[in-house]
Amino acid sequence: MIRNEAMQIFLEKIKKDPIVSANGFISRDLFNIHDKKTNFYMIGSMGLASSIGLGIALTIPRKRIFVFDGDGNILMNLGSLTTIGKLQPKNLIHVIFDNSIHESTGGQPTSSSIISIAKIAKSCKYKKIFTSSSKKGILKILDTIKNNQGPIMIIVKIEGGGNSGRRISIPPEKIKDYFIEEL
Amino acid sequence: MFDYLYKNGIENFIGVPDSTLKKFIKCGLENKKIIITTREEEAIGIATGMLLAKSPSLVFMQNAGFANSLSTITSLVQLYKIPLIFLIGWRGFLKNDAPEHTKIGRIQPGLLKIMEIDHKIIKDSNWKKMCDWALKKSQNNKSCALIIPREFLD
Repeated sequence: MIRNEAMQIFLEKIKKDPIVSANGFISRDLFNIHDKKTNFYMIGSMGLASSIGLGIALTIPRKRIFVFDGDGNILMNLGSLTTIGKLQPKNLIHVIFDNSIHESTGGQPTSSSIISIAKIAKSCKYKKIFTSSSKKGILKILDTIKNNQGPIMIIVKIEGGGNSGRRISIPPEKIKDYFIEEL
Repeated sequence: MFDYLYKNGIENFIGVPDSTLKKFIKCGLENKKIIITTREEEAIGIATGMLLAKSPSLVFMQNAGFANSLSTITSLVQLYKIPLIFLIGWRGFLKNDAPEHTKIGRIQPGLLKIMEIDHKIIKDSNWKKMCDWALKKSQNNKSCALIIPREFLD
């Protein structure tokens, strides 16, 4: 399964929940599969999707907030996991599309094939950590988490490859304005 | 200063500790309004999330951490026009400060200028006025920075 396919499975189930998506192909895929005003597309500041998601989750505890992150992205800001663990946002669902490469910059390896992000998240007191590499697995996880409190991490093991998709055509300030308006 | 900003609408104070700001941070911790992060970029990310959820936020840091944050400031705060207030402790303001602060302290004014960050230097005599300036900027949807020079050595 490639990222695009994995993301489609999530988006069929997520519908209206706000999503903060990491820069690079993750934001581009989200934009191309299901553009909506409650998507905050990051196009810079690599590593910070989970921090932005945490800020939103803490401020609006009644809404489920999804973060669409990558392995390269979270490895760049591992400190974020400790802050999320310390603050325990019940409504944060942190999805990591893990292909063990920096795909957006040409497929250079990350260390996620050697180091377990799941174990780090466990040490950081995430309440639930799931790992899957199949459609059936993802659907089951999405069903299960309806009854779980966060912080939750879902690691989706994917293959590299696929089309990179169009760049996001909405100006950054508009991305922000739409998001604030609809949140 | 913490109480003043808090009473005037800033709801979240997020950042990395700095000895120049220790009294400010102590005040915030007593009010349970401070989030200490691992790095300055992380603080900017969290504050951005809170601002997206319409909760006015400030990030605090030392100027060494400001240097860490340059890319986050250009590609998040300035790119998306996030109305964040920065509070930055200025080490290396005094010429005989510790050696690790000398260079970054010397280039601090130049860095702020080249980064095109609207900023004011805070002194004992003008802090209230400068806070009002920053609060107004933030209400008008603009980011800005308040700089506190460290005028003592320990």
